[in-house]
Amino acid sequence: MTTTPARRPRQLSGRPRFYTSYAQQLRMFNTRPKRVSVGVLMALAVLVPFYVNDEVLQLLAVGFVASIGAIGLNIVTGYAGQISLGHAFFLAIGAYTAAALSGDPDERTIGFGITNLLVWLPAAGLVAALFGVLVAPLATRLRGLYLAIVTLGLVFLGEHIFKEWSSLTGGPGVGRPAAVPELFGYRFDEGGELLTRDQQLYLLMLVLLAIFAVLAFNLVRSKVGRAFSAVRDRDIAAEIMGVSLRKYKTLAFAVSSFYAGCAGALLYTVAGFFDPTSFNLLMSVQYIAMVLIGGAGTISGSIMGAMFITLVPRLTRELPAYVPFIAAEPTGVPNVFQVETVLYGLLIIGFLIFEPRGLYGIWVRLRNYWKSWPFSY
Amino acid sequence: MSTTTVATRVRDRARSRPRGIAMREKDFGVWQEVTWAEYWENIQLVGHGLLALGLDVGDRVAIHSENRREWLYADLATAAIRATTMGLYPTNPAAEVAYLLAHSGSKILIAEDQEQVDKVLEVIEQLPDLERIIYLEPRGIRRRYEDPKLLYWDDFLAIGARHREEFPGAVEGRMAKARPDDVMTLIYTSGTTGPPKGAMLSVDNVEFAIEALVSGGGFTSPPPHDRDLLLSYLPLCHVAERIFSTWFNAAVGVQVNFAESVDTVVVNLAEVQPTILFGVPRIWEKILAGVNIRTASASPLKRISARLWLRVADWIGSRLVRSGGRHTVGTRLGYAVGWVFLYRSLRDRIGVRKVRYAASGAAPIAPEVLKFFMGIGVPMHEVYGMTENSAVATANRPGRVKLGTVGEPHPGAELRIDPETGEILTRHRGVFVGYWRDEAATRIAKEPDGWLHTGDVGEWVDGTHVKVTDRMKDIIITTGGKNISPSEIENALKTSPYIKEAVVVGERRKFLGALISIELDTVGDWAQRRKIPYTTYRDLAERPEVRDLVREVVQRVNDRFATIEQIKDFRMLPKELDHEDGELTATQKVKRAALADRFGDLVESIYAPKGADAEVSR
Repeated sequence: MTTTPARRPRQLSGRPRFYTSYAQQLRMFNTRPKRVSVGVLMALAVLVPFYVNDEVLQLLAVGFVASIGAIGLNIVTGYAGQISLGHAFFLAIGAYTAAALSGDPDERTIGFGITNLLVWLPAAGLVAALFGVLVAPLATRLRGLYLAIVTLGLVFLGEHIFKEWSSLTGGPGVGRPAAVPELFGYRFDEGGELLTRDQQLYLLMLVLLAIFAVLAFNLVRSKVGRAFSAVRDRDIAAEIMGVSLRKYKTLAFAVSSFYAGCAGALLYTVAGFFDPTSFNLLMSVQYIAMVLIGGAGTISGSIMGAMFITLVPRLTRELPAYVPFIAAEPTGVPNVFQVETVLYGLLIIGFLIFEPRGLYGIWVRLRNYWKSWPFSY
Repeated sequence: MSTTTVATRVRDRARSRPRGIAMREKDFGVWQEVTWAEYWENIQLVGHGLLALGLDVGDRVAIHSENRREWLYADLATAAIRATTMGLYPTNPAAEVAYLLAHSGSKILIAEDQEQVDKVLEVIEQLPDLERIIYLEPRGIRRRYEDPKLLYWDDFLAIGARHREEFPGAVEGRMAKARPDDVMTLIYTSGTTGPPKGAMLSVDNVEFAIEALVSGGGFTSPPPHDRDLLLSYLPLCHVAERIFSTWFNAAVGVQVNFAESVDTVVVNLAEVQPTILFGVPRIWEKILAGVNIRTASASPLKRISARLWLRVADWIGSRLVRSGGRHTVGTRLGYAVGWVFLYRSLRDRIGVRKVRYAASGAAPIAPEVLKFFMGIGVPMHEVYGMTENSAVATANRPGRVKLGTVGEPHPGAELRIDPETGEILTRHRGVFVGYWRDEAATRIAKEPDGWLHTGDVGEWVDGTHVKVTDRMKDIIITTGGKNISPSEIENALKTSPYIKEAVVVGERRKFLGALISIELDTVGDWAQRRKIPYTTYRDLAERPEVRDLVREVVQRVNDRFATIEQIKDFRMLPKELDHEDGELTATQKVKRAALADRFGDLVESIYAPKGADAEVSR
């Protein structure tokens, strides 16, 4: 009845908890410190390639790609609560779809020569998502441990097929070239005039991670994200509230495997070559570790966890210099590779017992300590 | 020329700034905003609704609700159609509701919810004048209660909308005829002694109060403006909250934010971070107690830092007290460093980070409490006024604060102190019209030449500031013939976070005694930390350890007073004082007579020849 047009509620400055609309509560950066610190972090990340050597850059680039994969797993496991041990399978699907699409048609392995990143990356994601949708009905029928075992089966299935299908994968011990990162004729995997190969790849992966992270963040703070959490917290209650379990579990698997597919496609572009035996149980466990160590149900936690897990091998390589009884070569006992595997196990156990909310949980506690200053609660 | 009223002020603002924010109320977790245009629209609808129900000039509309948007709509709409608003405290029990509604002869009651509707339905036979009960919350009432007088708010607004279509401009027409001597509101005093009395405030009284307190910077200095934020949480039927929530809002467009309830004030304060904050002593004491308790139970580093910087704050406070509120280089420096470590975060947590003017009033407060807030950087001012003079009497001005006084008289207000009785008298345009239907009481309170007897005893300090000693009738005269002001001692006791209420007794006795009621939260917390088991309030209050705790407090307070003013013995009250039980007024003031009556044996036991309890001052 009022004649004045509706006015969009604005938040008053300096009053972070004074919400006058729900949109303000859901904003991505609801406080200025958050905006500033994310901005600074991004700026630092962009500057890093100019100050760090190529070896570390490669590692970081792989970390960024792993982050995309971890975000994917976190969506289905951390947000929607569906434990999936089959992440390596979806990564493999993505990796081979992309490699096959962009591969050289004249090579001995299958290849279609479509090297444009804008084609093979979404394609890898979509094919993986398709498999995710096929797997999803299992999730609507099974829960918890049973789902974990069934998804574990996927890994073995995949491992076997990829080992045998050598025209696609090149066969175990031989492998095939990874997808070619090319965009409108520009090859990221060949050093340019301004930037080296690794600097280019680093920046490419950084941009892609930013895009995927923002998309995921927008998804989880939307109606869909809230439905995921409802399913995770109590599926029966969620269904009674009108959340369709079948729809949202399928969606969770689809989105998660889309992310996994994209991550798989990008994962080996840095190394340039990959082998079908990489997509084994250990890889699934690594991704589970990323989610648990980083923090289940958080996007930034996924990134923290992925970076952490990617950097751990690099750190264990340094161990022999400090701990004399650890051997650097695979023939010694105990060697760095064994230490690495043991470390994953210990880290998962340690985090689950002492810090179930992961690195993100540590960050939250640290933040809350200062946020509640000068009180304790 | 037409008379300016609060209603015309809102209308003019709605025309000049239709999209500005008039008020907010937290609903479903979000502060819903009401623009000036919406505010004015609602006032018109309610006004038309009231006209449709046949309300005439001078009729009374009673509002029995917590602070919320509809309170202001109804209040302003009533003013617009030249009727009279009367507010009831949400805590008023049925018997008092009956008295207030019958005495005021209210025709329409706006009741918030089932609780308030139940109260009035219980006593409906005693209320022949009451024609309609409009309820705001339908839950539990709609389609359950049959009483034909009941009317749901939304239906009432629909009636208003229909009336407007039929008679457009009827509300504005009535508004244009407003006269300065229209009685705008009836404010019932809390009644510590007898039944409540209804003070009539006219349009002119209110306009004077707005001039003195708002434009003149009497209660907020520099004067309030439309970018100021307020939290409305004290009962709106009290003159103090009415000034801040309704009159400040109407006069200069201060944005009013309604707290969800009395229990969430602390949380809401931290969310809203108001720029102007008025509190009664109880609120300030509670915030202070909260700070003490929560810093004491913080983790070590926080505790050490808080202890250090609170000590610095205490020093800053003392310096400010000496300089009247003006900073020196030293205090500025100390505050700047402390701001980084404590004051910024502490003020943010308790919701006073953006407060540019804080005021305490409506009851006496211990200077220590004010000093604490000054020390942590909250510009705190004690102000003084009462319903009968539209709250226009005195206030401490920024930079000229004298702790322990209530400040200087407002410009345009005359104030004198009776040389014989020491009573404070005021005279100005804001002095009320009279008590509703109580000629005798009006004659006692108001001299024919306009001087108002405040009933407070006071004295001049340095010729400029006024110090209120006590309520005249509360002064205790001991058998030694000494006049003692109990409130000063009581407030000193109440500074302790452990003491909620203290009542000093000793009228016509050899020495002073006290009845003490503990603060259940803090003493409970204290007992828990010392592993002292307890079950109920009474059990806790009567624990020997708690008695010792209180004895310590009493002794510390005694040290500051002359021998004659010291508490020689005290007793713990076995229950929490309560409005329902008639021990407190709606404004949480102690009804001394009721207390003396109910706990007479406790008082007697203090003066029993051979006290079983050990004496305090030994």
